[in-house]
Parts: sequence; structure tokens; C-alpha cells
Amino acid sequence: MTRREKVLTYLEKCALSMDQGITTSELSEAIGVLRPNVSNVLNQLVREGKVKKTNGRPVHYFMNSEEGERGFMLEQKPNIGFAGDARIRNQSIKMKSTAKKNKVDVFDNMIGSRDSLKNQVEQAKAALLYPPHGLNTLIIGPTGSGKTYFANKMYHFALDREIISKKGFTTFNCADYAHNPQLLMSHLFGYVKGAFTGANADKDGLIQEADGGMLFLDEVHRLPPEGQEMIFYFMDHGTYSRLGETAKVHHADVRLVYATTEDPKSSLLQTFVRRIPIIIQLTDFNQRSAREKLQLLEQLLTLEANRIHKNIRLSEDVVQALLGSVTYGNVGQLKSNIQLVCAQGFLNSMRNKNEITLIFSQLPPNIKDGLSNLANNRQELGNLSRLLEPTMVIKPDAERGLPDSDSYELPYNLYEIIGDKAALLKDEGLDQAAINNFIMTDINLHLKSFYRQGKLERNVSSLNEIVDQEIIDLTKRIQLLLQERESYPVRDNFIYAMSLHISSFIKRVQSGKPLRTIPADLISMVHDYPAELKIAEHVKDLIEDHYHFPIPESEVYYMAILFVSLKSEPKTGKVGIVVAAHGNSTASSMVHVVSQLLSVDNIAAYDMPLEMSPKVALDGIAEQVKKIDQGNGVLLLVDMGSLNTFSSKLTEKTNVHVKTIDMVTTAMVLEAARKTALIDSDLKTVYRELRQFDGYAQTIEKVHRKKNYVQTISNQREKAIIAICSTGEGTARRIKDLLDKILVDNLIDDIRVITVSVVTMNEQIAKIQQNYQIVATTGVVKPEVAAPFVSLENLLQGGGESFIGLVEKINNHTAHEAEDLEHSDLLTEEMSQNYLGQYFTFINPAKIVKVLWNYCDFIQHRSKSKMSNAFKISLIMHIAGAIERYLTRSEMSVDEQKRSNVRTEKLYPIVKQANEVLHETLNINLSDSEVYYIVALFKTEKEKNDTQNN
Amino acid sequence: MTMDVRLLRIDSRLLHGQVTTNWAKAINVNRILVVSDRVANDQTRKTLIVQAAPPGIRANVITVEKMIRIYHDPRFDILKPMILVEDPVDARRIVEGGITIDSVNIGAISFDTTRVMVTDAIAVNVADVEAFKWFHDHGIKLDVRKVSSDSSKNLWKSLSEKGLV
Repeated sequence: MTRREKVLTYLEKCALSMDQGITTSELSEAIGVLRPNVSNVLNQLVREGKVKKTNGRPVHYFMNSEEGERGFMLEQKPNIGFAGDARIRNQSIKMKSTAKKNKVDVFDNMIGSRDSLKNQVEQAKAALLYPPHGLNTLIIGPTGSGKTYFANKMYHFALDREIISKKGFTTFNCADYAHNPQLLMSHLFGYVKGAFTGANADKDGLIQEADGGMLFLDEVHRLPPEGQEMIFYFMDHGTYSRLGETAKVHHADVRLVYATTEDPKSSLLQTFVRRIPIIIQLTDFNQRSAREKLQLLEQLLTLEANRIHKNIRLSEDVVQALLGSVTYGNVGQLKSNIQLVCAQGFLNSMRNKNEITLIFSQLPPNIKDGLSNLANNRQELGNLSRLLEPTMVIKPDAERGLPDSDSYELPYNLYEIIGDKAALLKDEGLDQAAINNFIMTDINLHLKSFYRQGKLERNVSSLNEIVDQEIIDLTKRIQLLLQERESYPVRDNFIYAMSLHISSFIKRVQSGKPLRTIPADLISMVHDYPAELKIAEHVKDLIEDHYHFPIPESEVYYMAILFVSLKSEPKTGKVGIVVAAHGNSTASSMVHVVSQLLSVDNIAAYDMPLEMSPKVALDGIAEQVKKIDQGNGVLLLVDMGSLNTFSSKLTEKTNVHVKTIDMVTTAMVLEAARKTALIDSDLKTVYRELRQFDGYAQTIEKVHRKKNYVQTISNQREKAIIAICSTGEGTARRIKDLLDKILVDNLIDDIRVITVSVVTMNEQIAKIQQNYQIVATTGVVKPEVAAPFVSLENLLQGGGESFIGLVEKINNHTAHEAEDLEHSDLLTEEMSQNYLGQYFTFINPAKIVKVLWNYCDFIQHRSKSKMSNAFKISLIMHIAGAIERYLTRSEMSVDEQKRSNVRTEKLYPIVKQANEVLHETLNINLSDSEVYYIVALFKTEKEKNDTQNN
Repeated sequence: MTMDVRLLRIDSRLLHGQVTTNWAKAINVNRILVVSDRVANDQTRKTLIVQAAPPGIRANVITVEKMIRIYHDPRFDILKPMILVEDPVDARRIVEGGITIDSVNIGAISFDTTRVMVTDAIAVNVADVEAFKWFHDHGIKLDVRKVSSDSSKNLWKSLSEKGLV
């Protein structure tokens, strides 16, 4: 069936069921033909008179039937038909047109509203329509997934349905003032004259401004806890106070919509999240269907076409490259990339009045990469190809609207700037090539300055928590050199991959670790890439210049391989990585960090809540292993020993070769991702190298072997730490004194520190091993011992505490459970109830725990300071004790002096109020002595937090 | 010189909130040792207890065996600890292990089905009574106080009144 036939058949079918006809978009979706193509066919059919269209917007099309009694709303005068019939019809149309205002659904023309975003749209509507004032809504989605756009749609929906009384969509990005919470709060809530220096007059905040409308708070995780508390008070009561006021006297009726890129469980107060019943999760661009991706592309191109008032013509491969160029930034990134290529196309097609053409060979390298990215995903490519025509023409189409303002929109009209500049340069007599060259530099500048404000910048800043700024700067210089002189295509992840590589080998050189040898197959491989080898030589010179020490020849080879890898990045054959760790989000947060930093795709996470059985965990991990395997084996990184038997079982279950490394850290996941990204990597090599990584990783097998060894051969052997210096008497002695003190402080009595001289090191160590189990080594050289080695710098900088932490980790002491506690209110509540039952005689744990939980929340809310869950348990237990003392008439006593002193404490009135609530609920009156102890409990906690923070 | 144990206290809840802070300040200790085999193997409870330590004083959770070991190890003589145990039986094991004290403080022992209430905060079972007898026979005072400023009551008297000893 041709497109034309498809359109006609569908319109005929519609004629029977629909009165109003159908829009281009609806038709395009229904028959699976791209919108511009449908539009072409329709226009042709209208010209031929086979199809008619309505006057209003959006335009509806329908078959031109003989009767024509529908002409009421048509371009043509209606024919006279059977009078009665016409009247009925007219009435029905009239009714429809009055109802139309309420009928039009702004979500309908949002791409994916019937597909990938169907649930989200339903949620949004439910949230808005819920009587009487709607529900608070939080939109979660990665960068560029369209949170602002979605919120905007919600606003228009609310406006159309007359849910909100006032026009006004107020947006506020909480990140804007994140460094200055006071300023942020004053923007939101307003302030009174004199509230702070410079507050010369009363000022309303955004909340007041948005009264009767909608307020959108973006990046809400950047709102400080006290701000979240003020907001949730406002959610609960509709009242708030301006800065500098004590009473919450102001009232505003505001629809609140929040957005965040973070996991709300870990980035927002639980008390805050609890008050948001609707959480809308937006979809990643790459998880949308091929059809939706195309529709998005087409819509974004139409925006550009509207701006330049020309058609945009692009070939199939340009479409593919554009779609494939979206790596981390979702629709936002697609929009930026489209702007870039359109600007370029605009410049190149300046002479053509009607059309600009986008040609693959002229695309910038990072967009061209998109094609190979896409080509790696066969299935996706297949789906896409089925929908694509060899060329696509996008026409300006006012119906599709002008862009909403969002952060991906340039603040000026780039095309006007390009046009003006080109005209100017032409007047000055420059030739076209020179003009193009000139302006292209300009465009890149514009778009780069704009890109910089986005996510990329934030990623680099998180990189410098791991790598020295000096190395990042050096890498940036290398990047510049490669771009300008070597025409090496530099990608998004270049800075990360390269700076991590430099950092790790500089550290290697500096810490005097043995140099890597160059395997023969590496040499032969690099010789297939002479260009990269040459680049590597240049980069080596640059690094040598910078650090003033010689870089070993072997590094040139490794760097060459890195350049080759970064350039081609083949999808098949990479070693997969699965991170599995106890805790609700431990594994996924590590993987999240790493995949954001390195934009790798060969890594998966598996979270294991504490209550999960090993059987379920094994199945879950097996599934991840299968998913991530690319035929080259999978590296399993786990957090502790209980998973050590999994390797072989997994291999059995999945037929995938699996190797396990334990004690996973974020740094290790990074290193693993980096190593597996190299094209010459295989599971065995990566596994071997990772085991040596920084010396603190221990393989499961090794620990296992050691355990068995210890158990069978000498269960009673004492543990020892070996400290090495040249004489065994100088530095080593000082290390011993330092470590002995720390060991005592940590109550570790079963580890000896033994000093050893370099000269006779091997014999001494062999002797020591007969009587001791060596758990760690430190000093000036690393001995050949199967135990972690800590360099002197690390030992001395960390004050030795982290060293002992390491030793404790080897003994399998981990604190994941307690970390979990801080993330789970449910767990805390359960645990409180458990302890209440265990330690108290007369009170009913199940009933009292809720009351006491609310007691904590009340104080937390009033005092505007967050309690840790551990402290909450403490407080709950204490209040339960006070209640039981009250019931058994054995309350604590405190002398009058202390009782009167406590009345001046800041917390005293708050505790009194909380007790008043307790009185209302349980008819129990705690004495002033008990109040003294409650306040004292808070004071102690605060004191402790203060000393910890200093 | 041996380790100067400033207080041996029985409290089912071990280290908790204000009560411990009060004692720690009153008797000048530089370490809190929570001694319980059960808690030493319960990671969550261990973490909670360590976190609940008063400002400036470190707390450790160790087994009874380790308590006795480090008491006799001169490297640990610098500690001036307050020792917290869950029940009289653990307290007796510690003293039997050689730790010298002249009185044992009893704060609270939680009621459960094996126990009977002796005072408003102290419940005992057969094993507890057995341990208290042992202390009494060895001339160790059974001092009942919640916080240091309370007036001291002798538990032996309460046990006798109840007819338990």
C-alpha cells in the first residue's frame, strides 16, 4: 500500500466514526507514516479535492463526501442538503465547538503522550484534577529529559481546565542560589524590612507571586533542609512566613510542581517526600521507541525551520547521526545538537532562499559519532530504518508552535547573527570559504559557551574530586592540541578517560611502583595504528614538559591504545561489569557515578536489600550478568565475602565466564570501567590488573585461600603488620609507634606491628610468616606478600586511621546495615518498635511507636534541624522510658537550679509543645525534670555533631 | 598498674542517651566499653551504640572474652573505662575473669517472661539472682542508681524483701 492509499483508507474509516476529522499528527501516529510525509500527501489530496480541511487550528482533515453537510465549519459554502439532517448535525457541531475549550488536551500533542509517557500524563492529570486543590507533584528525570517542558504542559492543562485561576507559570531553579540558602529562601518566601542587611523594604516572594497559579521548583534537591521544611509546612497549611517574621500569617493558593534529577530518597528530606503523593518519572531518551525519537527530532527541527523560515532537508544518515549523538543529555542534548547542525547548515546554504541542506560529511565529529553509536545497536537501527525515508524535508509549520523557553534555548537568535555577520564579511570582500571558516568558529563559540552552562560543567567538577585539578587542566591542553593540530576527533568522555589515565600512571611513576612491561602483542597491535602512536609521542612530550620527569616508553604504547580505543569504541567484545552490593542503593549509586563520568554502557548494578535471600540475589545477579555480557566475560564486583561462592555458580547458570573481586569501592568501579573500555582488554587481564589496583583490593579467591590456610594450618597464628624502612630501625620504628597507638585506641589487641629492614627483607618476612599471618604491609618498598600495601604518604596523611579501617575491612567488618538505616525510615520505625518491646514492660510498642515517631517529627519540624535516624531511635527510647517512669510513678528528679536553667534553653519551648501534643494524645504529663533530660539529650547530640564537624 | 575500671554497670539498654552521658561526666572516664557477646555480633546495634556515645568519649563494643584479655594486657592500661553489660550474668563473668571492682551499679534490667520485677526498673530471673548472690558473697556492693546523683539503694535489700535470696 502506498502512503497515499494508507491515508485515504484511514480517512474513509474515520468518516464513519468521527465527525470532526483528524489532525495530521493523529493520522501520522495511526498509520505509522512520518508526519511531514503525511502532510505532503494530505496537501496534495486537498488540492485534488479528494480531502477537505477545517479552518481552525489545529487543522482537521476528512474525506470530501458527496453530501457535504459538514460544511458548517469548512472553507467552502455548505451545499444545501436534507434540511432536518443538516440541523441535527449543525447542532451537534455547535455543541462540540462550545465544549471544545475544555476538550482540547494540551498533552495530546506532546510526543509520547499515548505511548511512553502515557502513565506519566495520566498521573499529571490526576494530580491536577484531584479535588479540591490537586496533589503536589514531583517530576524526576535525568538531565534534558524534559522536566520543565512537562511542567509547562501541566500548567497549560490546568489553565485550559480552569483549575487555576490566574495566568502565571512561575519557575524557580533552586540551584541558582544553592550556595546562599538565605538568599534562596528570601526569593521564595519574601522578607520584611530589616530581616537582613540590605532588606530595605518588605518584599513578596515567589510563593506570593504565584498565588492562584502554578509554581515550578526545579532542582528541588538543592533546596536546603530548612527550606524543604518551610515548603512542606506551606503544603500542609497553605500559610507561610516571610524572612524575619515569626508568625505564619501569609496565605497563598499555589499549585506546586517540583523537579529533580536525583533520587528523592537520598536527596530530599523524607518528611518532605512523604508529602508528595504523585511522583512522575520521565523516560530516558534512549529508552523511547524509535518512532518517538523520530517524532521528537522532527518536532525540534520544525522549531528551527520556523525560526529560519526555510525548509530543512536532511538525509537518512544525518537523522541517524543526530539520534545517535544523544549520549547523556536526552531531548535537551538532541535539541542542542540540532541547533548546532542547523546553524552550520544555515551558513552553508546561505544562498538558497528556500531550503537548507544538512550533509553528513559536514557534520562536526561528535555528531558524526552518533552514526556509529547507533550502528552498534542493531535492533534500534533496524527499527529506525523501517521508519526512515532516504531524505526528509521539514517545513516551517506555525501550527506546531514556537518553542517554550527552557534552558536549552539560546537567549538570542543565532541565525540572525550568522546572517548579519555573513553579509558584513561579504561587504568587506571576503571569499565564501573564508566567511564560512570565520563564522563556523563563531558558531562553535556560541554553542560551546552555551553547552558549558549545562550538565557537562557539573560533571567536570565532580571529576576533580577524584583527579587533581592540575591533571584536568593538563588534559584540557592535550585535548586542545589534539583538536587543533592532529585533527583527532575528541569526544565527550575524552577528558575523563584521559585524565584518569594520566593520573593513574603519574601516581604509578611517583609511588615508584614497578614499570609496566610491554607485551609483544601490544607492540604489534599498536603498529597497526601509526597515527595514534605519533599522537601518543606528542602527548608524552607534553606531559614530560609539564612534570619534568621522564615518561617510560611503555606508557606511549598504552596511551596509543587509549587513543585508538577512545576513537573507535567498538561495542562488541567489551568485558562486562556487574556491581552487586548490600543496601538499597549502594551498588546503583556507584554505577550511576561511574557511567555518568565515563559514559560507558558495559556496566550494570544489582542492589541487595538486607532482607534479600542469597537465592534471589544469585538469580538477580545472573540476570544482570546475561544482560551485560558481550561475549567476553563479566567482572563481578561485590562488597563482601558472603558472595564469594557466586563466581562458579554464575558461570554455571549463565554460561558466561565470571570473575569476582570483593570490597568494591567507587574508585574501583571507575578503574574497572576504564580498563574494560580499552579494546585490548580481556577478562583475565582486567581481573589481574584490578587485583593490584591501589593495593587495597583483595580477591575473593585469595581471602578464601587464606582463610582455609589459616584454619587448617595455624588457626592460632597472630596477625601482623609489616613496617619496612632501609634499616628497620628509623622510619619503621616510628611507624610502629604510630600504629601501636592507633591499635590500642581501636582496642585491637591481636595485631602486632613488626619492623623490617629492606636489606634482609625477604628472609625476615619469610621467618615472620611462620609465626604470624601478615595482614598488611607499609613502608618504603612493597614486599612480595599477598597482603595490601599502603604507601607511607597514605599512611601518614590519613593519620593511620584509614589504614586501620582497611585492616578492619579485611576482618570483614562493614557498616552497610547502619548506612541503610539512615536511608530507611521504615527500617528505623521497625527497629524502634522492636527495641521498645525488648526493653519496656508496660507500654505497648506497636501503639506507642507511631506516637513517638510523630513526637520526633514534631520537634524536627519546629526546631528546623534534621535528626539522624540513629538519634531518632535514641529519642524514641528515651521518651518511652519517660512515659513508663510516669506510669510507674518513678520519674527522675533534678535539682531546682537545673530545672530553672533549662527554661532558658532554645529548645525548651519546643519540647514543651511536643509534650503538650503527647498530653493530648495519651493524657500523660511529663514533669519538668523529664523535660530537663530531654533537652539535655538534644544538647549532647548537638555538641557531638559540632565537635565532629570541626 | 592495671586498667582503672571506674564503673561496672548493668543496664539492659547498655549505652543509651542521657543516662550514659550523665555517668560518663560524673565519674571521669576516657572510654566506654560495652561488653556483650550478642551485640558484638549485631552490626546494626553495634553501630547505633557507638553513635550514641557522648561527645568526646569513644565507645567500643567487645565480647566478654576480649574484655578480660585487654584488661590483663598492659598496653591497654591507659584506659579508664566505664563498662556496660546487659545482665548480671555477664557482669559476673567479667569479675570472675579478674577485673577488680568493689561495687556493681545496676540501672535497669528489662522485664521479660522469665523475670519478676524487683524495683520499678529492675526485673530478675533465677540466673540473675544466682549472679547477685555471687557478688554479695564476694563482698561486692549492689548499688542501684539510675543516674549518679540519685541516692544509692542496695539491691540485696530489695531481693531479700521479695524473698528471692
